[in-house]
Amino acid sequence: MADSPEARGGGEMRKRTFVITRFDPDKDQVPKTQTYEIPCRPEWKVLDALNFIKDEVDPTLSHRWSCRMAVCGSCGMNVNGEPKLTCKTSLADYGDTVEVAPLSNFPIIRDLVIEMDGFMDKFKAVKPWVIVAKEKAAEEGTYRQSPEQLAVFKQFSMCINCMLCYAACPVVAKEPDFLGPAAIALGHRYNMDSRDEGAAERNEVFRGEGTVFHCSYANECSEVCPKNVDPAAAINQAKLNAVIDWATSFVVKRGK
Amino acid sequence: MARFADPHAMQPSTPGRTRTAPPQLPDDFWSRPRMRTYLLFDATGIVYLLVGLVALRVAWALKSAEAWNALLTSFANPGYLLFHLIALVSAIFVGVRFFRLFPKAQPARIGPAKPPPRPVLHAMLYAAWIGITVVLLAILGGVWP
Repeated sequence: MADSPEARGGGEMRKRTFVITRFDPDKDQVPKTQTYEIPCRPEWKVLDALNFIKDEVDPTLSHRWSCRMAVCGSCGMNVNGEPKLTCKTSLADYGDTVEVAPLSNFPIIRDLVIEMDGFMDKFKAVKPWVIVAKEKAAEEGTYRQSPEQLAVFKQFSMCINCMLCYAACPVVAKEPDFLGPAAIALGHRYNMDSRDEGAAERNEVFRGEGTVFHCSYANECSEVCPKNVDPAAAINQAKLNAVIDWATSFVVKRGK
Repeated sequence: MARFADPHAMQPSTPGRTRTAPPQLPDDFWSRPRMRTYLLFDATGIVYLLVGLVALRVAWALKSAEAWNALLTSFANPGYLLFHLIALVSAIFVGVRFFRLFPKAQPARIGPAKPPPRPVLHAMLYAAWIGITVVLLAILGGVWP
């Protein structure tokens, strides 16, 4: 049969039970769970199973996804309680029952879809763009950067905004004003950029309420980061930089 | 699911168009292995508070020879021995965790200076820890200076 798993190159199908969080804002007061038992191919990722449920079993299930190759950062969910990119998470690593829930610490819009506007607000707060006092004229050429200068911040620029770090962070869970791992890592990334002149502005943000000094270095963000950005390293480097910046501001006068 | 997260966690500055469910956390998030380690790490703060109180007691006992002898006698108590053992384990636990996380918290460079590579920094921390411990033991044991 053309549709058999063998014909498609798959091995033995295995029945698995998915316990999925459901929330309909028009009907439900709080989220509930719904169970689906489906046949899964051995090579499937968690996202494949969710797409199968959506396509074949229950079209009302809502979840976000796009690229299927861990670069778009859309499909972050809690799989058995751990924040994961579902397109990168193999079902082979799980037992017969798999729990899929929306990312922790975020308001839930519907089923597995979380409200990410709060995250975007926090992003804007760190001014994530290259700030220069005076733009160079086009004739003066491009802003050049050596590989060594790039290496200083490259790791922190690999973030795909998947928000797993916010779901894992114990401070985000308790302090709504905390800027959070990805936003601080991004701010730090621009502070470390040789072309940027906005470090003083961002360090002022970092010295404010609910930023770098609220991080208790649980390191959870770095443990769950699928792109090895290591936000915990960025936050804790930013702490020292913010202090050095504060101390030098007494010695070196800064123009506006 | 349980509602451990702050209900205002990650709320947008302007409300969205649809009603949302409050932020959730898995019921057992605190007992997961990584979080358990972190909470244990935090809980060692209580041990250090108690060690601080014991240090005050030691300082107080310096007032007379009798008080000092009474202190040494009380330190032979199994309860005290157990407490000191817990304090030692806590210090090693925190030290190991701190040494694991410290190197990556170093900025890429401070002015012209560049910190050594992480494994070297790691080794330096352990070497300093062991060195200081040996020196302190030598002083306390009366071997040196």
